[in-house]
Amino acid sequence: MFYLVSDKGRVVGVEPSTTHPVSRGGLCVKGWNAFGFVHHPDRLTTPLIRRDGELQPASWDEALNLVVEKLRNVQERHGADAVMFASSAKATNEENYLLMKLARAVFGTNNIDHCARLCHSSTVTGLAETFGSGAMTNSISCIDQTDVIFVIGSNTTEQHPLIGSRILNAVRNGTSLIVADNRRIRLARHAELHLRHTNGSDVALLLGMMHVIIRDGLADHDFITTRTENFAALAAAVADWTPERAAVATGLEAVEITTAAHLYAGAECAMIFYSMGITQHSHGVDNVRCIADLAMLTGNVGRPGTGVNPLRGQNNVQGGCDMGALPDLYSGYQKVSDPQQRQKFARAWGIEELPTTPGLPLTRAMNAASVGLLHGMFIMGENPMLSDPDQGHARTTLENLDLLVVQDIFLTETAALADIVLPAACYAEKDGTFTNTERRIQRLRKTVEPPGEACADWQIICDIAERAGYQGMRYSSPAEVMDEIATLTPIYGGIAYDRLDTHGLQWPCPDRSHPGTPLLHVERFTRGLGHFSPVIHRLSAELPDDEYPLVLTTGRTYFHWHTGSMTRRTHLLDREEPRSFIELHPDDAARLEVRDRDMLLVSSRRGNVQTEARVTTMVIPGVVFMPFHFAEGAANALTNNVLDPESSIPEFKVCAVRVEKLP
Amino acid sequence: MRVLTTDLLDLFITRLANTWEVRLPILLPDGTRVIGSPDDGTPALHGGTVLSKPTAAFFPQQETLFTATKGEFQEPQAPDRLLFVLGFTPRDLACLRFIDRFFADGWRDNIYFRQRRNAVVAGLSGYSGPGGSLLPPAGGNCDLELFWDGTLWLAIPYSDSGIKIIAELPDTAPESAMELFRQATLTPPDENENLIKRASELLRADRVPDSFWAEIGDRCIACTGCNLACPTCTCFGVQDWRSATTVERSRMWDSCQLDGFMREASGHNPLGTEALRTRRRIHHKLAADPEKWGEISCFVCGRCDSVCPTGIGILAVTREMVARFE
Ligand code: SF4
Ligand code: SF4
Repeated sequence: MFYLVSDKGRVVGVEPSTTHPVSRGGLCVKGWNAFGFVHHPDRLTTPLIRRDGELQPASWDEALNLVVEKLRNVQERHGADAVMFASSAKATNEENYLLMKLARAVFGTNNIDHCARLCHSSTVTGLAETFGSGAMTNSISCIDQTDVIFVIGSNTTEQHPLIGSRILNAVRNGTSLIVADNRRIRLARHAELHLRHTNGSDVALLLGMMHVIIRDGLADHDFITTRTENFAALAAAVADWTPERAAVATGLEAVEITTAAHLYAGAECAMIFYSMGITQHSHGVDNVRCIADLAMLTGNVGRPGTGVNPLRGQNNVQGGCDMGALPDLYSGYQKVSDPQQRQKFARAWGIEELPTTPGLPLTRAMNAASVGLLHGMFIMGENPMLSDPDQGHARTTLENLDLLVVQDIFLTETAALADIVLPAACYAEKDGTFTNTERRIQRLRKTVEPPGEACADWQIICDIAERAGYQGMRYSSPAEVMDEIATLTPIYGGIAYDRLDTHGLQWPCPDRSHPGTPLLHVERFTRGLGHFSPVIHRLSAELPDDEYPLVLTTGRTYFHWHTGSMTRRTHLLDREEPRSFIELHPDDAARLEVRDRDMLLVSSRRGNVQTEARVTTMVIPGVVFMPFHFAEGAANALTNNVLDPESSIPEFKVCAVRVEKLP
Repeated sequence: MRVLTTDLLDLFITRLANTWEVRLPILLPDGTRVIGSPDDGTPALHGGTVLSKPTAAFFPQQETLFTATKGEFQEPQAPDRLLFVLGFTPRDLACLRFIDRFFADGWRDNIYFRQRRNAVVAGLSGYSGPGGSLLPPAGGNCDLELFWDGTLWLAIPYSDSGIKIIAELPDTAPESAMELFRQATLTPPDENENLIKRASELLRADRVPDSFWAEIGDRCIACTGCNLACPTCTCFGVQDWRSATTVERSRMWDSCQLDGFMREASGHNPLGTEALRTRRRIHHKLAADPEKWGEISCFVCGRCDSVCPTGIGILAVTREMVARFE
């Protein structure tokens, strides 16, 4: 998507690729500033070991020997599954693959996961069940070929700005846009229909739409008969969901639901885009199921300009999943529980036996650690102190671990709690590949050397393996790691660096002559027939009451990325959004006698934070919004650590809070 | 006037690189052309405007202003070798002339001139535009210009260093090429230039209503690309990086499409909407700069239209403006 400009060993700027099919010469503000943190003086330049309560510089030898010794020690005392490996959606495919190999082959545990747990685990579960593949079905270029775009739970122009821009351009060229999100996001201002349903009522909205589609004869029966199964169960599940009933559950007018259904189902080609507004609920998987059902019901799968398109947020969260940085899956979504797959990997890795039971999801590992069932964590490039729900819980959990190793580029809030910190190279300082949201595997090229003694994640992981007595992780370059991935991962079977030079390849790409796959499920679904998966509407876990009368929903801002370890160290980005804030509706502000930019105390059952008021009609009355990027005024001090039972995703999108004006 | 054949091009560049720090349009693996050093890719002189602006050689996206360590204050040294920058289209040369004047005015920006002073600026023109289209010769504003006649480059010097640099090239320019060059110099201004002038008049006559800017601004996703890509945008932000012992001050390209660009310390912003900011960006080039400098500061290089993800670069906006309000 972009090139870095370097001068005498320093990165001094960014240049967009003019030929890339996604970015097409443009970038978002984070892209244009992507070089800004690379040489920041806060970069970690040497390993650190906690001595006398303080993190002190150490040599690589000392640090890595200690990592191995302590991991082994925890495992000897408490069993192989007493340690957890957290991989990173910011690291390369090769690094994700290697960390999962390290966890499984070297340390004998399936306790490996990454932050997709917090963003799209509901997608992986929901779409695997309905379609057989938990990824974006279509390509971004399909936006130019569609008649209707339905965006639900995604602030696309802010979180995926180039995709959002493409949607805006499509709307100018005549495509209809439906936005379902109760914040008045930019896309909503350009939408034909803006549905401001209450937080957590997506299932009711989608069931209502499906009811109307079946009732009004808009279902695609040819598609349903030839391509899907279990339609009767879906029809039965939506039979009671009249638009009137859905209206009550969603706070919308019945006619809005009917109009949305007619608009979506009446189109020749319609695309659905969704993101965290769908996945981050205690019923996130159900939300995803409904979306898949809606698309199949109208035959909007397997053709250009259609599809179910979950937008992946981090540069390599698709790749992190593809590489098997997941507790139950090897690379390419091959099941740990399948003895044949297990044997295949064991043989290739030269290991007698790989662990058989699926490991813990990251969120459950944190819970296990909090009750003393897990004792060591190795975290690569993640910052759970800011990204996990219920910060108080995250902090005590991390503090109570016998061993916390953090490998990162900055001393994040999490690294500051670690026993051992390993300094990593950032993206500009290493080779590798990333896989974008449309399944496009692309090259990352090294531009400058890492600072001080910092080292690429893949090299650190291999070094640890070697010190742990495993000789099966000796590679001269990431290209060689990819060759191994290709032999073990059918969907990456045809991937090799020499094929990725221009714009990469979209998986599945099973062999070296395969051109890649822009569209999934064309003649058949990955699982064979598409499976209708009916769901029951469930309420969010914590609803407002007298004590905590407002709904808090959390998310991101355009200028920051996740916990801000990079963007808050990038001058222009931090200048734009320098501090934590809370959006509240003018009606609520008036009732609380709050004016714009007043300091507020926001409390939930988990904790409280101080933050600045932003009085705006972006939100509806009764709902407040906070971004989670900020260590000071951390939204996740408030959020509710309740998990979807199937995907283990936390309910970041709904909890109850109280807001008071600070004197 | 001298001649540079395609066969000689590589040798010519290699020789230049012995003396100068050479920057020229090169081809990257995915087909993107950028201004880079000869080691970074193969030369790609054809194709017209390069998206990465050649003026960045003198005013890079980010650069160190000084480093202060206890008792010591260091400014970056002037470069060991002077820059030779090839790749300015005639429009880019007009942009360079404009910012040269801007940076020299009043407080004179020494940081800019550290790179710019004595650098060699080389233009590209002739039938080397996109798809072989004509870039009319610049006829000046540079040390030398390479004009493609369809089979070879004519090398036209405009300064002493230009003369020196091309001295070794053969001097037998065919008459046909000379004739093409002469004709090309007579090319009238194109439609886009007229468009910009007409839009400028509309703005200066205050004939563009706020509602227009609201509509355009609503499509701005604040990517900042239009400013960062523009060779006549000169605004920069300043940051300090502090470590235990050192402060490093640097500057980086800034953008008036950003909210923080004009935000006051109180938090209030006199340009607090995309509409106001988009108006400002275009107003500055088409109405404010003509007052200050006597000329419109958009030389129609087309970069902002290429980078804007939502299609509101200056040409797109002025086209709409002229269609609606003229
Ligand atoms: S066309 Fe755009 S980028 Fe080029 S000079 Fe004009 S305003 Fe600047
Ligand atoms: S390039 Fe377009 S979207 Fe980006 S800041 Fe400029 S006007 Fe806005």
